[in-house]
Amino acid sequence: MNFKKIVLADIAVLAALSLFTSWYLWEAWGASNSVENLIFILPIAVLTLLMCTLELIKQLFSDLVEANKPTESMLSVLPVIILFAVYVLSLEWVGFDVGTVLFVASFLFLQGERRVVWLIAYSLVFGIVVALFFSNMLPYPMPMTFIATDY
Amino acid sequence: MIDFDAVLQAFTLLFSSFSPWLVVIPGIVIGLLFGAIPGLQISMAMAIFLPMTLYMDFMQAMLFLTAIFTGGTFGSGVPAILMNIPGTSSAIATAFDGYPMARKGKHNQALGMALGASAFGVLIGYIILFVLIKPISLLVLKIGPAEMFAVILWGMTLIASLSGAYMIKGLIAGFSGLLIGTIGFNETGVLRGTLGSEYLLDGVSVVPAMMGMFAASELLRLVNTKYLVENESARKVNIKLIIKGFFDAFNYPVVLIRGSIIGVFVGAVPGVGSSVSNLLSYIETKRRDPNPESFGQGNPKGVIASESANSTSEAGSMATLLALGIPGGGATAVMLAAFSMHNITGGPQFVREQTDVVYAIIFANFGQVFLLIALALLCLPILANVVRVPMNYLIPSVLALAVFGAFGLVGNMSGPITVLIFAVIGWLFKRYNYSVPATVIGILLGGMAESSMLHTLQISGGQFSYVFDRPITLAIIVLLVVSLFGSKLMDLLTKRSIKN
Repeated sequence: MNFKKIVLADIAVLAALSLFTSWYLWEAWGASNSVENLIFILPIAVLTLLMCTLELIKQLFSDLVEANKPTESMLSVLPVIILFAVYVLSLEWVGFDVGTVLFVASFLFLQGERRVVWLIAYSLVFGIVVALFFSNMLPYPMPMTFIATDY
Repeated sequence: MIDFDAVLQAFTLLFSSFSPWLVVIPGIVIGLLFGAIPGLQISMAMAIFLPMTLYMDFMQAMLFLTAIFTGGTFGSGVPAILMNIPGTSSAIATAFDGYPMARKGKHNQALGMALGASAFGVLIGYIILFVLIKPISLLVLKIGPAEMFAVILWGMTLIASLSGAYMIKGLIAGFSGLLIGTIGFNETGVLRGTLGSEYLLDGVSVVPAMMGMFAASELLRLVNTKYLVENESARKVNIKLIIKGFFDAFNYPVVLIRGSIIGVFVGAVPGVGSSVSNLLSYIETKRRDPNPESFGQGNPKGVIASESANSTSEAGSMATLLALGIPGGGATAVMLAAFSMHNITGGPQFVREQTDVVYAIIFANFGQVFLLIALALLCLPILANVVRVPMNYLIPSVLALAVFGAFGLVGNMSGPITVLIFAVIGWLFKRYNYSVPATVIGILLGGMAESSMLHTLQISGGQFSYVFDRPITLAIIVLLVVSLFGSKLMDLLTKRSIKN
């Protein structure tokens, strides 16, 4: 990643935060413009936007970009984020038991574990033990495929 | 202040038979387990085991529940140190320096110090409670939203303090957290920022968000790391080092005592309690340290400050429960249920008429401290083995545990989804140098700050002079100003006097 990309990504995060703040202020204002509703949100949102502007000016005119260079590579993290997102978003359909076994096994494979018996054994034992433990300890039902639950 | 006849009767109640003590060991073990597993809360443990107290007498029931409370408060610091997952919001500040210590291979010392500070905190907390139960309860009655806002404002100053080298980005992160903390219904029934999702009606769930921002985002950054502790020689579990850490905690008496005093008084404030006390203790320790930059990098004082305050908060919350019958949080609410199951009503009358029972509960907690130390020293070497697990196994296991825990906290899929969203936000924030702890503090305090500000406005009718009629508010504000600018003012005065 070269410096231009880093600056752009940094500015994109800043822009996202400014957008969120502006949207939230607009949304809160739309819900009610009473003092009771905005007493805290308005000053904090204004302060946030002010800080975002200051940071933008700082980034545009500063040559401290070198220090901002991220340490880990995006390519190594992105597959893990995607795998984690698929795991969380599919839990309602595949259940916590099957979902966890599949997630742990896929993660281990992705990270270079090639001892198939070990990979299957660990993900099965971990997934089932944790799913059984939580399904018995929690006072409400969880989505499960094989473990009995009222979900 | 102390009723010595009641003290003697309390001893008789506790030591005339061994039966009240039989439940303490299982209680502490249950607390340690529920505290140490992310997603299992102390209040959840107490609620699950509450029906068992029906078969106990009142004294035994109280000992059992306070044992769970004591074990759980310490237990929640363990995952904060080893995995950067504060089991509860009361262990947030433990993670700030505990986890960096673990990554440097000082996990044994960090766990030992946390235990030492917790044990000291519980002991001091209950001693203060023993001497001052009546004054504390009277003080709590005088605390209103204005005082709560002043305390929360004090906590909010931590946002700037945690921003580090990237001050503006840190403030943006903290302020964004404050805004996120206000999502959902406010106190006047206005709905903001839910995007039509019913899951957000009560706002963003703080603990799952915290799990995502602290733990999951950190694990994403560590995908290319082989072990949590990279130095192989440091990757060992050593009971001697844990014990050394335990005693090392007492090398910082000022940090311990300050944390304990903050813990017991802030812990007594209903609804704020231990969540804020650990932050206040941390910020004061950092601010008064000659080397504040070392905080967040694995400074043991950070762990001690947080653990001494959150453990002492237990005594503070017990003060409001016993003397006023007001539960300060989830755990004391379950205790209140145990009170009613035994036909007992907490409050001034209870303290006045059954002082021996109140004292017996307090003395039992002194005994629990020693049992906690023994049991924790048995459990910690097992738990510390986390540092020896390869990261490719640890990462999916902890992520999955966080997801289960988040479901357990919320009771629906919004918990795991919150973890996912905040994991990505946390990872982006860390990548681009926005302070993650500042954001989490913001999320935690945003809702509280807005509510107390709103209540103050409603009670004062918009008159600012109202604050001047509240001596406790003024005292807190003066303390806040002194803590913020006192040392700088002193430096300035010293320099001037040297010049002259």
